[in-house]
Amino acid sequence: MTTVDPVIVAKELRKQYEDITAVDGISFEVRRGEVFGMLGPNGAGKTTTIEILEGMRDADSGQAIINGINVKDDPTAVKAIIGVQLQQNAFFDNLKLAEIVDLYARLYKAKIDPVEILSRVGLENRKNARYAHLSGGQKQRLSIAVALVNDPVVLFLDEPTTGLDPQARRQVWALVNKISENGATIMLTTHYMEEAEELCDRVAVIEDGQIIALDTPDNLIDQLLETGFKPEKRVREATLDDVFLNLTGRDLRD
Amino acid sequence: MKLYLALTIASLKMYFRNRQALFWALFFPLLIMLIFGFMNFDGFSSPDVGVYDAAENDASRSLIDSLRGSDGAQVLAVSVGSREEVMNELKFGETRAAIIIPENFGVPGEFAELQVTYDERYAQERVVISTVIGQVTDALFKEAAQVPSEYRVENSIGISESFIEGQGQGFKGWLIPGIAAMAIMQTGLFTVVFTLVRFKSQGVLRRLKATPIGASHFLAGQLTTKAIVVVLQTYVLVIVGALVLGVTVGGGRLAMWFDLTILALLGGALFIAIGLAVSGWAKNEETAAPVANIISMPMMFLSGVFFPLSIMPEWVTRWSQYLPLTYLADGMRAITVEGAAITTLGSELLGLAVWIAIAFVIATRMFRWE
Repeated sequence: MTTVDPVIVAKELRKQYEDITAVDGISFEVRRGEVFGMLGPNGAGKTTTIEILEGMRDADSGQAIINGINVKDDPTAVKAIIGVQLQQNAFFDNLKLAEIVDLYARLYKAKIDPVEILSRVGLENRKNARYAHLSGGQKQRLSIAVALVNDPVVLFLDEPTTGLDPQARRQVWALVNKISENGATIMLTTHYMEEAEELCDRVAVIEDGQIIALDTPDNLIDQLLETGFKPEKRVREATLDDVFLNLTGRDLRD
Repeated sequence: MKLYLALTIASLKMYFRNRQALFWALFFPLLIMLIFGFMNFDGFSSPDVGVYDAAENDASRSLIDSLRGSDGAQVLAVSVGSREEVMNELKFGETRAAIIIPENFGVPGEFAELQVTYDERYAQERVVISTVIGQVTDALFKEAAQVPSEYRVENSIGISESFIEGQGQGFKGWLIPGIAAMAIMQTGLFTVVFTLVRFKSQGVLRRLKATPIGASHFLAGQLTTKAIVVVLQTYVLVIVGALVLGVTVGGGRLAMWFDLTILALLGGALFIAIGLAVSGWAKNEETAAPVANIISMPMMFLSGVFFPLSIMPEWVTRWSQYLPLTYLADGMRAITVEGAAITTLGSELLGLAVWIAIAFVIATRMFRWE
């Protein structure tokens, strides 16, 4: 698949729900191979923005362009070239993982080996397990595996680690980094700052449907420090997260 | 087409791995059918007997009164009619025995033979009826012993017994197609409602909508699965019912299975459409379940599944004859036990067609993906 650079273009996107303006004039571009993060509190408009780009929702105005295709004109063509992990993502309880991956490959008319896709997310030895029997972290990794079946131009991950324990979260981070190293373009949303710092090349901070900052994590931190900002707590060499992982081990519990 | 097949196979796998759904679709109706079938509600009432009285004298009338029993305790349900009427009733399973009282019954000095014909399929009833006849004639002898000799009928009554195989199927014959129809309703309505509402509330349908194919193909596969289940379930219920409860189905017509398949699919389409309408409207299982029950419960009792509508008061049957399940149960009954061809089922097919049309219009208006 030839990719057009920038892969994602959002121009003045707006979306109104009854009395709330969820997205209020958002514009940004994501370059090929970049990991782009959208940060913000719940209800800031992250999911609505990502769903407009995925062709799941129509914007009231503005343009969303994925790999040169206007989403509004041809949502089916866009859906065919993107990988999607929705915020509330579920699969069929009574199918085995390999069957789920195979079924989704068919829905994308992709010819793949389900076990190979599962091995990319470390679930190859669970290929005969039923979806209902997976842990939260495994479910999340499966949904990323399913998002990879069509060898997507862009991978959209909506809150990929919400609700996961620290071990499972780190596992997902390693996975996202690996996918990124293989050259994929990734756009993700999160409300965990350490996740954005760990994964993203650039982040957009969004509040009340508007982008209030957009830069690399380092630049954003530098800009804050230039204003003479001092953290309230003395910065220590380790965090409580590190303590927890040190005590409970970094291995996954599934 | 290949995709549709793959989706259908996938949803068949999902279905047959779901033990709960299997229980409700197969084992539950089977259980109900066997329990009610073995209870043998036919045995609760006095056996029906038809009597043709050729003698029409005091002796024969006294015999008939004795067969009926006295003091309000009914022994046999006796109906008197012409020879043809009595034999026809027996042949079509409306009575269990026909008694023919000869012209010379009670005529002094003559030997009169009561001809009793039984429906050979009802051994229990035969025992009851022949015991009653035996006691009644014995009583007549005893009575005769106290009357002057010229009026005695002593030693001059004989009983000849013969058997025919009637065609009606009794309560079991009523029950099997009724339960098969009810099972179609339950599968169509509940499995569609529960799987789709769960897929909807969990976000499975949303994820499907994010694919280029969309979720409508998936829905087609799901509905095909339900249609397959409906047909299989009908076969199982009719076959097990016929074998275990000993009911003859289809009057030996092999084409019955074809007709039964068509009718099961029509019924399936109807209740699947109703299920779609409910699951389109409901946001989660908690709201869907009561609605599905409100639709199915009255029909279970008012559509003649377990008992004929004739035992219901007229103000109920006046409108319950138009219920979707009534049309389906009547049609199933005509095909399985009455040996009718599907082409002869005018009003049932029309009724089903009208309901299918109504249900699909509502379903397409009500259905929401999320």
